Amino acid sequence: MADMNASKMSKSEIIADGFWHNNTIFAQLLGMCPLLGVTTSAINGFWMGAATVLVLLGSNIVVSMIRGFVPRDVRIPAYITVIAAFVTVVGLAMNAWMHEMYLILGLFIPLIVVNCAILGRAEAFASKNGLVDSILDALAVGFGFTFALMLLGSVREIFGYGTWFGYPVLGENYPDFLMFILPPGAFIALGFILAGVNIINRRMNNRAENAEPACAPKAYVASEKA
Amino acid sequence: MSDSENKQAGISREMVMMVVALTLVTAIAAALLGLTDQVTREPILEAQRAALQRSLGQVLPAHTNVPMDDVIKLGEGDASTPFYVARDANGVVLALAWEVVAPDGYSGSIRILMGVLPDGSLHAVCITDHRETPGLGDGITRNRKWIDFFTGKSLAGTHWAVKKDGGEFDQFTGATITPRAVVKAVHRGLGLFAAQRDALLARAAGK
Repeated sequence: MADMNASKMSKSEIIADGFWHNNTIFAQLLGMCPLLGVTTSAINGFWMGAATVLVLLGSNIVVSMIRGFVPRDVRIPAYITVIAAFVTVVGLAMNAWMHEMYLILGLFIPLIVVNCAILGRAEAFASKNGLVDSILDALAVGFGFTFALMLLGSVREIFGYGTWFGYPVLGENYPDFLMFILPPGAFIALGFILAGVNIINRRMNNRAENAEPACAPKAYVASEKA
Repeated sequence: MSDSENKQAGISREMVMMVVALTLVTAIAAALLGLTDQVTREPILEAQRAALQRSLGQVLPAHTNVPMDDVIKLGEGDASTPFYVARDANGVVLALAWEVVAPDGYSGSIRILMGVLPDGSLHAVCITDHRETPGLGDGITRNRKWIDFFTGKSLAGTHWAVKKDGGEFDQFTGATITPRAVVKAVHRGLGLFAAQRDALLARAAGK
């Protein structure tokens, strides 16, 4: 959709689109595997997001640089090779300098390779855009993804353990609410977050359209159908 | 004739281009990986050693040597188990620590480091690796009281089973399999120590 005209996008459009309007989680619902797997706490969500940002940045930069050189028919294996290399680099670096977080995130680090959001950015954006725009896109999409992971991790940690980033926020004697830590809690929390995102988007749309105040809801329904 | 030849030449040029592109991309990726491996190999080993040292510090009584470098091995080759020795300033053996694996956790193996005094009683145990369900089975690492219950226990005088199976160790609400696996593995570890105790202590003392 928006990606079709990607080359005509302004820098601020790239940022707004990557971070919010086309957010990997909120709008595209991609990358669900790390989203649901590691977001039992805010800090896990943050570092998983940080690892993804680094991979995305590396792959977007390289893919943008080799975009005129790699023939169309072999672009997917070439991109996957680039992405896999950066994932391994980030995995080794975390193993070396953030050993404990590496043990916690474990399997989900190598699984970044198959996060379709990353190949998606390489294919839909970096392969058609210049270096600067591709870097901007990687940062916007990556931070949008990190924001979503941290938000879900925060909700699950606060309601599940009564803590936020390890600090008790709901009192010392908060009884663990297991459902939020287990996978069903991830789906339920994500559902509420998506509902909240939709409400925000609706408000933004309504304001942008500046519809007649008296029949604002009708105006919205009409625009949604169109 | 000449048309088809041209066509074939065109196709093969495309093919060559594909091969060249993929080869180059792969070569650059390989170089990047080789470089990263060079840079991170030492820090990774150090991080692993630091993690082991922390765990050893938790399961061994106060000591003056470096247990990580004071190792005796039981068994041959890859299947051997390293026993880490804690000594006081006079070189007297205070305790041994080694790792046991519970293969029957709820999801995958649980690795447990156990520190045992020469009389065969447990000083402490420490879960070093597990993939148990967050909020349920991972109580083995989060529940301090549960893990401290092992301290002072020995082979004799303790019923090595969870309460559900008629033993002394608590299970967690909603998670019996994980504590059961840990208790069984530690029990097995103590059995191994009892069988090899004299040989192990003699070798540790003679070192």
